Amino acid sequence: MNGRRSGPSSSSSSSGGGRGGRAGAGGQGDKGKDGQRRPMFRRRKVCRFCAEKIDDINYKDSKLLMSFVPERAKISPRRISGTCALHQRKLRTAIMRARQLALIPYTSE
Amino acid sequence: MNRKYELVYIVSPDATDDQVTELHTQVEGIVQRLSGQIEKTDNWGRRKLAYEIGHHKEGTYVLHVINGSGELMKEIDRRLKVFDLVIRHLVVRVDEDERIVERRKTIRTEESRRRRVARGLPPDRQPGEGQKELDDDDQDDRFGGVEDVR
Repeated sequence: MNGRRSGPSSSSSSSGGGRGGRAGAGGQGDKGKDGQRRPMFRRRKVCRFCAEKIDDINYKDSKLLMSFVPERAKISPRRISGTCALHQRKLRTAIMRARQLALIPYTSE
Repeated sequence: MNRKYELVYIVSPDATDDQVTELHTQVEGIVQRLSGQIEKTDNWGRRKLAYEIGHHKEGTYVLHVINGSGELMKEIDRRLKVFDLVIRHLVVRVDEDERIVERRKTIRTEESRRRRVARGLPPDRQPGEGQKELDDDDQDDRFGGVEDVR
């Protein structure tokens, strides 16, 4: 995770400096981003609902929902689970409904 | 205005089967009085609750799919709050979501048919054709075994 973070952040800081100085430097910053190789390969995360074409995220499907609430029973954020914005929103309502019906815990002890 | 709702209620584990059926007839009575109809009834039976509700660790889940007006659901909601046997209930409107899902499905199939025809294939997928099931390692490894963790 650190390896992945360090790549874009260093290049973005350079482009940020460019934006402050001249207007034309923004393009250079982008070029630098492309030219830089990632030190470590990481599989691109794909939204599970898009990939498996699950259309309705139902509050009754506690097995599916439980895979998005790791140990502490908190909803896993998008940056970790890779869910797209639309599905994360639907997932959230589904999880909240399931919690109301005691199908899913609010916390784990 | 007729809409489709889902009603789930959890009956206390102390209740006998007779009491559960009586509750069901009561709900049915309200639905009929306010000119709605019960489309489906599903008794999930006894389940363990994810957390304690009023010192109960188990409960009997009952699901109704009801066609009716908003006033009807309001009335049911009000009545279910009063019953001591019902430890939790939830009313969700589902018709709109179902319509969206339906639309997305038809768009998807039409799109795939269109593309298949453009490629000179028959519009529907033949048996034994297409991608194999995705491997498990496609998902994030860190969340592999979460389901059995409490």
